[in-house]
Amino acid sequence: MKKLIFLLLVLTIGFSCSDELTDLNIDTQNPSVVPSSSLVANAQVALMDYVVDQNVNRNNFRLWAQMWSQTTYPDESNYQLVERNVNGFAYARLYSTVLKDLNEARAYMVNIPEISEAEITANEAVITVLEVFTYAMLVDIFGDIIYYEALDIEKPTPAYTDDKEVYYELIEKLDSALPNLTGNTLGLGDVIYNGNLGAWSKMANSLKLRMAIRIADSDAAKAQTLVTEAVTAGVFTSPADNFKMSYIESTPHTHPLWVTLIQSGRSDYVASNTIGDYMNALEDPRRPYYFKDTGANDTIVGGIFGSSNSYTPNSKPGWIQEQKTSTGVALSFVEVEFLLADAAERGFITTPAADHYHNGIETSIRNWTSAYNDVISNVIKVDSMKVDNDSLNTLVNDYLANVNVNYATAPGSWKEKIAMQKWLALYDEAFEAWSTYRLYDAPVMNVATGAGTTPPSRFTYPFSEYTLNETNVKAAGSAMGGDDLFSKVFWDVN
Amino acid sequence: MKQLTLLFALVFFMCSYAFGQRVISGTVTDENGPLPYANVIVKGTTIGTTTDLDGKYELKVPEGATTVVVTYTGYTAQELVLGNSNVLSAVLSEGVVLEGAIVTALGIKRDQKSLGYAAQEVDGDELTKVKDANFVNSLSGKAAGVDIKRSGQLGGSSNVIIRGHTSLGNTNQALFVVDGTPIANAITNTTDQATGRGGYDYGNTAMDMNPEDIESVSILRGAAATALYGSRAANGVILITTKKGQKNDKLGVTISSGFTAATIDKTTMPVYQKQYGPGYSNISGWYNSDIDGLDFYDFDGDGVDEYHAPVYEDASFGAEYDPNLQVFGWSSWYPDHPDFGKTVPFVAGENDATTFYETGLTFNNSIAVTGGNDVSSFRLSYTNFDQSGILPGSKIKKNTVSFGGSQTVGERLTVGTSVQYINTNGNGRYGTGYDNRNVNQSFRQWYSTFTDMKEQQDAYELTGRNISWNAYGVLDPSRATQPHYFDNYYWNLANNFSTDTRDRILGNIKLDYDLTDWLVATGKVTIDQYSEIQEERIAQGSVDVPEYSAYNRNFYELNYDAMLRANKYFGASDDISVTGLLGVNIRRSRVKSLREYTQGGLWYPGIYTLENSVDRPISDPYLAKIGVNGYYAAANIGLYNMLYLDLTARYDVSSTLPQGNNGYFYPSASLSFVFSELLEGNDILSFGKLRANYAGVGNDAPAQQIVDTYDIGTPFGGNALASTNPRKKNEALRSENTNSIEAGLEMKFLKNRLGFDFTAYKSNSFNQILPVPVTTATGYATKVVNAGEIQNVGFEVAANLTPVRTKDFTWDIGVTWAKNINEVIELDEGITNFQLASVQGGVTINAAVGEPYGAIKGTNFVYHESGEPIVYDHWGGGTRWRKTSEPEVIGNINPDWRGGINNSINYKGIGLSFLIDAQKGGDFFSLDTWYGYATGIYDFTAGTNESGGVVRDSPDDGGGIPMGGVVQSVDASGSYVFDDEGVPVSDGTANTENGYTRDVYSSYGYVYAPNAYHVYDASFVKLREATLSYSLPSKLFANNKIDGIDVSVIGRNLWIIHKNSPYSDPESSTSAGNVTGNQSGAYPTARELGLNLRVRF
Repeated sequence: MKKLIFLLLVLTIGFSCSDELTDLNIDTQNPSVVPSSSLVANAQVALMDYVVDQNVNRNNFRLWAQMWSQTTYPDESNYQLVERNVNGFAYARLYSTVLKDLNEARAYMVNIPEISEAEITANEAVITVLEVFTYAMLVDIFGDIIYYEALDIEKPTPAYTDDKEVYYELIEKLDSALPNLTGNTLGLGDVIYNGNLGAWSKMANSLKLRMAIRIADSDAAKAQTLVTEAVTAGVFTSPADNFKMSYIESTPHTHPLWVTLIQSGRSDYVASNTIGDYMNALEDPRRPYYFKDTGANDTIVGGIFGSSNSYTPNSKPGWIQEQKTSTGVALSFVEVEFLLADAAERGFITTPAADHYHNGIETSIRNWTSAYNDVISNVIKVDSMKVDNDSLNTLVNDYLANVNVNYATAPGSWKEKIAMQKWLALYDEAFEAWSTYRLYDAPVMNVATGAGTTPPSRFTYPFSEYTLNETNVKAAGSAMGGDDLFSKVFWDVN
Repeated sequence: MKQLTLLFALVFFMCSYAFGQRVISGTVTDENGPLPYANVIVKGTTIGTTTDLDGKYELKVPEGATTVVVTYTGYTAQELVLGNSNVLSAVLSEGVVLEGAIVTALGIKRDQKSLGYAAQEVDGDELTKVKDANFVNSLSGKAAGVDIKRSGQLGGSSNVIIRGHTSLGNTNQALFVVDGTPIANAITNTTDQATGRGGYDYGNTAMDMNPEDIESVSILRGAAATALYGSRAANGVILITTKKGQKNDKLGVTISSGFTAATIDKTTMPVYQKQYGPGYSNISGWYNSDIDGLDFYDFDGDGVDEYHAPVYEDASFGAEYDPNLQVFGWSSWYPDHPDFGKTVPFVAGENDATTFYETGLTFNNSIAVTGGNDVSSFRLSYTNFDQSGILPGSKIKKNTVSFGGSQTVGERLTVGTSVQYINTNGNGRYGTGYDNRNVNQSFRQWYSTFTDMKEQQDAYELTGRNISWNAYGVLDPSRATQPHYFDNYYWNLANNFSTDTRDRILGNIKLDYDLTDWLVATGKVTIDQYSEIQEERIAQGSVDVPEYSAYNRNFYELNYDAMLRANKYFGASDDISVTGLLGVNIRRSRVKSLREYTQGGLWYPGIYTLENSVDRPISDPYLAKIGVNGYYAAANIGLYNMLYLDLTARYDVSSTLPQGNNGYFYPSASLSFVFSELLEGNDILSFGKLRANYAGVGNDAPAQQIVDTYDIGTPFGGNALASTNPRKKNEALRSENTNSIEAGLEMKFLKNRLGFDFTAYKSNSFNQILPVPVTTATGYATKVVNAGEIQNVGFEVAANLTPVRTKDFTWDIGVTWAKNINEVIELDEGITNFQLASVQGGVTINAAVGEPYGAIKGTNFVYHESGEPIVYDHWGGGTRWRKTSEPEVIGNINPDWRGGINNSINYKGIGLSFLIDAQKGGDFFSLDTWYGYATGIYDFTAGTNESGGVVRDSPDDGGGIPMGGVVQSVDASGSYVFDDEGVPVSDGTANTENGYTRDVYSSYGYVYAPNAYHVYDASFVKLREATLSYSLPSKLFANNKIDGIDVSVIGRNLWIIHKNSPYSDPESSTSAGNVTGNQSGAYPTARELGLNLRVRF
């Protein structure tokens, strides 16, 4: 009897506990539901960080656009991509952070009880614009990409889609979102436009303009339609409209360049001779703002691109780029002006190309001067170093009067003229500067010493695709004419 | 009458001190004459002595003692009953030493011959002979099939992998059980730490166990042996039995004291060239002066440039040293340094990095008190372990209090407990990996031979400031005195250091109740709980951003066990035995941890709190609870002491699996056949046994793998950020399984002078719960699935041999050897590679289908069909290897085999033993040479080559180092030939040009060499332990109270007899865990030499 009681007791203890077992597995430290706004904000920050960064482990657009050279370790300025899995980072950041968080935000929208139907529509439109921007960037980087089967965990080996097809599809998506970008301010966790739908509308149209000019060489008719639509609907009209993010004082949300240039305590980057030589020849007034430690008459001392370079004697990235709170720009009014100049040359619009071209240059100079004056006021605090309006006007006028700058007299074809000044103006928007070079095959870039070539046309697909999605990535590689750094994205026809 | 006897016994016990003791004496002989050093012990106690050279002994026996036992190695023990006479002699005969009892699963003692699976016992003395801060290291080479891999840091973690890796995603460490208490063996090192990206190695928590308290360690290797422990034991079990009190007439006191000194083994350090100075090149124009490799700069503003050594570089490819040349060095820049503004001779630092290390000291003091009588016994011990490492300022202190006792109440109930309290304090643990806080990152990878350690030390001690050999100097005169890449090593260790504390209590309470003479009920509660904090600091003024981080971890595990055990004999002469077992185990555990670190620097220097963070600190909380209810049954049937059958079954219900799918069942069966029972009276074969078993083990998931969650980010201004967790969880998880079969043969010959135990096994782990990688285009990096299968097939041999056995001299040899062949059979559908870790240099450690677990992948040589690597000419002169464009398998972490040979020689009471521990095969990737071969610090990059050319000249001028290989073909236009897939083509023409070694573009360093060039064979043969001991015969102390004194001289890691990897110990790694096979900033091996003293009262 005693034994029986004992046995029963033991079994009771055992079984009575199994009901509560499942509850033990609940994660109480991490949320299983979050508001859409925090996902959208995270996607925006992650996207901006990616676009503006220079970090040998993440992206090297500032090197591929030959804006900077490296000092002791010139691997990345020789287009080294796979050793540090920089192409894999593009996938991880753009797909699994930016696009995935946007996707989740869209799915959660309906879970918020207070939100109205109209607000949902507007929120979704903003999310769509961000998605289009990101996918377009993926196409620009890789060519064919995973699109229709992306972001579906039930499809662990997703197929790739032809880059042109994706691009055209994106343009349609953008068009579908555009009509919904009207109405009042929303609380979306929008760290870029603070929920201003009008601003989003201008951004979407400017993006459409960028995409239109990208395809202008391969499909002029389509490009013309798109340009007309975008311009009619309204693109950026001033730098205030820029698709940009102002970084904040506190880590980890300081400007990524501050981390690379200042916080790291390293001395890895100097001005490249490519941009140095061009700017010196043009006596470009932006030299002391783009770079510091310039020589006599603001001469840029550029390190040889692709070589090891001494840090000391060369010019270095400028004051503005060293600030924690500087602004990161992903699509600017300056770029829009150069896009319009191109559109004018192609006869898509009627305003003169020269006006847009000159305005782009002038705006760029004024932006940089103003940013420089801000740094002088807030950091250096020697007001005498500030550039006053009169001298600024002189700088602008002198530069625009320079025969090698002025649209009427500058050398080369219209494409070469636009390419040169657009590339120069997009010094701090290096991804777009690299795309500009690819589109126009201008300006002439240096052959990187180690690699023995000018900048590549695309990223190769990450190694991880070959281990995780082999069949599909191999098909994509063949479709691209080989998974090679110099295969061309569909719009890069020349 | 019975009561009267009891009363008498009690009175005798109480009065024994007063009444004094009886002294017996006698002679121990065998057929040939006296046996010296035979043991004579009072049965049931530790009281005993040894015979002298004439075989004579004298022993004080307590009143009440009834029997003494006489033993002698290789002879059958003899019991002598105490009668009226005080003279008791014994004649021993050489005998068959049968296997003894061994502690098996659930603490059940079993006759070893009845086991149908491999089990090996290591005596506690083996672990205390040469004490290690981490006792598991003392198992290395002593137990077959146990792969111990130590990280080599002070107090660092060690892997205990039994029979190979079985789990892709979860732990592969053996389960540790102390007196029936499963204890946590967590490795809390971060992924960054394990993959060599920096951090400290805080050890594995099983190392808390104090070797002084260990009576014996049973190693249960296969699933059949461990099935009753449930799923966690799938990786094998290390079963520790602690020392207990024994029946004794007085308090037994043992004091033991040990001291060792550790110095570095210089064969595990780089050998530096001392011909060339700091900088990356001595090519004209690289720096700015007329002497190649030196800078020009006008320091004093007199309009004349002086020569400056480019001390801001962390490489040694610079100008050739010249004692007659005066240059500005690092010391010239610091106003508070005596050299300020002055030049120094341009010569290599006299005291290189090998002089940086100190002598590490270890003190280990322990006292144990034991006592016992007929109804109760206890043991209480205290151990103080105090160790300082070879790195200045590094210390580990450990205090252990251990208590064990048992009491019989009435005739049926026994109550027992064993409790340990362990307190560990670490200070200044070794920084690891590619991090400023690891001086070896600099010593092995980025270094200047211009640096003199003594001068760096003096500079720090004189000023207390971070006066670095790697100052900015000329590089940026506006911050000339700031350290560029590296801090002053001494300042760094004194200011950037870690501290840690762990308080731990583990123990159990156990009740045994004899329901009848054949049925026992047992109830047991065990607890293991600890709390720890790890704090790390980066001071203001460091190269790195000032930081404080704290990791708090609280853990407990409770086990409630209830068990019924039956034991009955049948048959005419009780030659059929049946034992049965029925039990329930309820396990609850909880881990709560919080890792927090400051952001953006610290406001106030020297204040290491989160409050001092410039920006919002980051915190990473974790709380996981796991509950498992297990129900088990076992039966053992023995026939005629010859045939034994074991059956076990267990059903577990786990909280980590989805409700409804959270129960799983697994059985095991083992058979043991003692065939020597059929061959009685055989002189050659003393013992023979065949065994075989099959077992299945189910396993649950780690906590929280079912429901998706989001990661909370640091807010952007006022905006909350959240992101999708990169791991897709799985609501349909099921248990994972391991099936294993094992067979063994054990034979002993010539009265046990020769014996072996051979085991073969095969285990398949499948349906594994693992986060398989998916393309990030899915929105996730990994998804949790049930997939994959790993197979381990292996052989284990343990053998013993006694070549010499005479009265004065015995020589015993013990050998262990094991080979495990691991293969990843499959992963998830469509997935051929599971990345275990990504280390630097683009190298990954993988589980790849068709390869053993731990495939090292990276760029490889491109081989010509002749087997020679293809080389090509490159700018700058000389040849470089072509490397593959995609990563290939270039090595594997698994050794071909591991083994140990232990020799013990006993001559007239003087014992000498030494253990040779060996590993054949296994690979590791060295980030140290990967980077270090591109910075010009190693010896082979200086001097002259075979043809008499200067190694640092361009190969075009006769410089460089012979490279071999075959040259890539060139077409008519002068372009290199590649095939359709872009693979270089060669016609097999041998290359006669040398490789390039002038600067960072060295053919052998990270820029141009394939990863494969930096993968090394990890084979080694080591003199792991050596001891010379002497036990002073107890009769020397007849007049006082001392029972015995043992003195020994001990050595550990004394000599690496053979290795194939240059400049480092092939065993060195950053951390234990699933990520091994990489070295980054490896520490040199510490040779230990010391003295142990043990006194028994």
